[in-house]
Amino acid sequence: MPTWWREHRGTELKLTTWTDDARIAADNLADFATGLFTPTVRLGVTGLSRSGKTVFITALVHNLIHGGRLPLFAPWSEGRLARAYLAHQPDDNVPRFDYERHVATLVEDREWPHSTRQVSELRLTVEYESAGYFSRTLGRGRLNVDIVDYPGEWLLDLPLLGKTYDQWSSQAIGLARESARKSLSGPWLEALAGASAQGPADEVLAANLAESFTAYLEACRDDRHALSALPPGRFLMPGDLAGSPALTFAPLVRPASGQAPKESLWALMERRYEAYKTHVVRPFFREHFARLDRQIVLVDALAALNAGPLAVADLEAALADILACFKPGSGSWLSGILTRRIDRILFAATKADHLHHEGHARLQAVLARLVDRAVERAKFSGAAVDIVAMAAIRATREARLKHEGEDLGAILGTPLPGERVGGETYDGETEIAVFPGDLPADPEELFDAGRRPAEPETDETWRFVRFRPPKLEKTVEGFTLSLPHIRLDKGLQFLLGDRLA
Amino acid sequence: MTTRRKPTAIRLDTADIVLEAAPAEPEKARRPGKQHGKTKTSDRVEIGGDAIDAALAEAQTRVEAREVRRRGFRWGRLFLAALAGLISLSFGLAVERLIRELFARNDILGQIGLGLLALAAIGLLAMALREAIALLRLRRIDRLKAAAEKALEDDDSRAARRVLGNLAELYSDRPDTARGRAALDAHRGEIIDGGDLIRLAERDLLSPLDKRARTQALEAAKRVAVVTAVSPRAVVDIAFVLYANLKLIRQVSLIYGGRPGLFGFFKLLGHVVGHLAVTGGVSAGDSILQQLVGHGLAARLSARLGEGVVNGLMTARVGVSAIHVCRPLPFIETGGPAIRDFLGELTRLTGGATEKGDEAE
Repeated sequence: MPTWWREHRGTELKLTTWTDDARIAADNLADFATGLFTPTVRLGVTGLSRSGKTVFITALVHNLIHGGRLPLFAPWSEGRLARAYLAHQPDDNVPRFDYERHVATLVEDREWPHSTRQVSELRLTVEYESAGYFSRTLGRGRLNVDIVDYPGEWLLDLPLLGKTYDQWSSQAIGLARESARKSLSGPWLEALAGASAQGPADEVLAANLAESFTAYLEACRDDRHALSALPPGRFLMPGDLAGSPALTFAPLVRPASGQAPKESLWALMERRYEAYKTHVVRPFFREHFARLDRQIVLVDALAALNAGPLAVADLEAALADILACFKPGSGSWLSGILTRRIDRILFAATKADHLHHEGHARLQAVLARLVDRAVERAKFSGAAVDIVAMAAIRATREARLKHEGEDLGAILGTPLPGERVGGETYDGETEIAVFPGDLPADPEELFDAGRRPAEPETDETWRFVRFRPPKLEKTVEGFTLSLPHIRLDKGLQFLLGDRLA
Repeated sequence: MTTRRKPTAIRLDTADIVLEAAPAEPEKARRPGKQHGKTKTSDRVEIGGDAIDAALAEAQTRVEAREVRRRGFRWGRLFLAALAGLISLSFGLAVERLIRELFARNDILGQIGLGLLALAAIGLLAMALREAIALLRLRRIDRLKAAAEKALEDDDSRAARRVLGNLAELYSDRPDTARGRAALDAHRGEIIDGGDLIRLAERDLLSPLDKRARTQALEAAKRVAVVTAVSPRAVVDIAFVLYANLKLIRQVSLIYGGRPGLFGFFKLLGHVVGHLAVTGGVSAGDSILQQLVGHGLAARLSARLGEGVVNGLMTARVGVSAIHVCRPLPFIETGGPAIRDFLGELTRLTGGATEKGDEAE
């Protein structure tokens, strides 16, 4: 059980410098001014890599634009939604979210979008009519929803803003020596032992250390281990920074004297760590996360369950760290001019379609346990919180399966090509019925590593299979049907319903 | 650790699989083209039968418990029962004597009398049957309401699905609900939580009916107000108020799918009066409002108009109670109609009437 993240428990993180604060306030002011004409909601889609951010955004946009079935989304069911379309995005220096290509990948190739490599943005404009008389006559009947997509790995960087190089080094090394990662961190720890923090600042040595550190992080991320707490994120997904000095650093063992000379390896690494924070993390945070109105936190709990209790504990730690970086709370409209606070947070356990709906309540319980501290914090500060098991795109159907005398709630789907289930490898064409196993009624069981075998190979309590996206047939007129989903409408209602009331 | 079912994965061509609650159209379109294996669509009413039956049984015991509490040995009832027995005996005797006398006078007359008796018996039987069916239907609505309340409370999606199925069945011969029923059918095939399903049913199926019921109540209230205001004698408006209220209760029941016969109607009447008595205390504020409006404002214009408004509001209140009693689902998203909603219309009406009256004078 990692304990390092408990250190700053309860303290407010100071993530920004005063110059940042000033810039954020100026941006807020500008937003407020433009918002007077057309109200804008900045929806923060937060989730680690492979949690389904891109798919969620694509499904959301597709369902709104193509009038998908959203019975629980009040503006839709009350018939007040006139239309929705992708508008020109507000920031010209950020790439556009490649919505059309993602839809084509999902619908035509029936593949999931590739992992996101860089930040992209989109603005969805929703035209609606308010149910209230005054807002209908006085309001504009239009709402802009700004959404940012980014590699989930980068989210892991946000907690670094509150840590010095010294703190981060000792945490990273401590974590690598824990039992969960010992088998993976061996080569890097060896290289680390060979390096002296007080030695000369050798560029080659620094590059070697950074390389073996990156290799260790990548090994941790592999599906079989599915570990989550792996900062710094750019090491895994460098974007356009590959090979730059800002990425050529690694943790070091602190010199015994506590002080390192100016030209030492330690000093070099420390400088680069700070440069990484200044030039990479801080702008990322300032531009995309400091000014959110609504937030959805996507968590792929099933992948962690697949990999075992250590992965679950790691996921919990990573989420706690990241969620501490956001500012929940209810703000008045006046204070809202300069400081933004997130007044609604939705925690969504994604890929709920990998489970029969009888298991959804338990999945929600697992998620609630995973993020309970963040939920407490958000509620305490006055934000509204909801937890839901969701599938932005539903890839399976449900069936009852009679197997060996048991009546099982199973799901039908086509596994991805190369997916191994029960000793058989599938080609991506065969449809199978899967019963993924019962989740425990008490989620505490998952977090108690002692009660379950740690090795993923021997653990056959659950097996969540990855399925291909559903096959959508076209109507006679050639229209593609909307993407099926599970509780996406409920999530939308919570996140945006009041702004479209 | 409790024993948990192991994960299983099976190819479709080997397994015995029952597809679950497939929605009508979209799911069929979504189904992959090539499908092998023994897949068959099950009767969706079968699914989750146990849970709903339990809910229904519980609701039933609740109802019975209420009745048992009311029961005890009642001398009055004994007297009435005995009296009814005596009367029917004497009636039977009279009929028997009549037939006998008819035969004594002429065989053909006797035959005709016998035939008429048979016809009367058939008619009576049919009436009784219809009454019984109507009573059963009313009871079904009551049970549906109880089951819906329970499903809503427990957020039980199986029970909610069953409630939706029963609702669709209840309205299956009502063409004006076709759209709502189609919407419900589509919802049942999707993964939606129990409470949300009930909410959707209320929104899609019942909100048009609510509107109609509310209009009925408003119309009746208006009519009563006007008739009271212009009626020449008190007897006339008392008779009319009575008639309008009874008719309103019947109409509301018809709108929500109940088809009360005579006894069913009495039962319904009892429910409505009970509801009025229960909510009487709650709507004390409304009563004060009535007093103010009836005897203050409108009365200042004309005593008759004031009475008209009061009678109209009373009718509206009967209508509201009837709506609460007859509706097969509880009100979830809104609290249901209230007297306040009717007040504006009624006073506007009488205001218009005074203006017209002034012009006439």
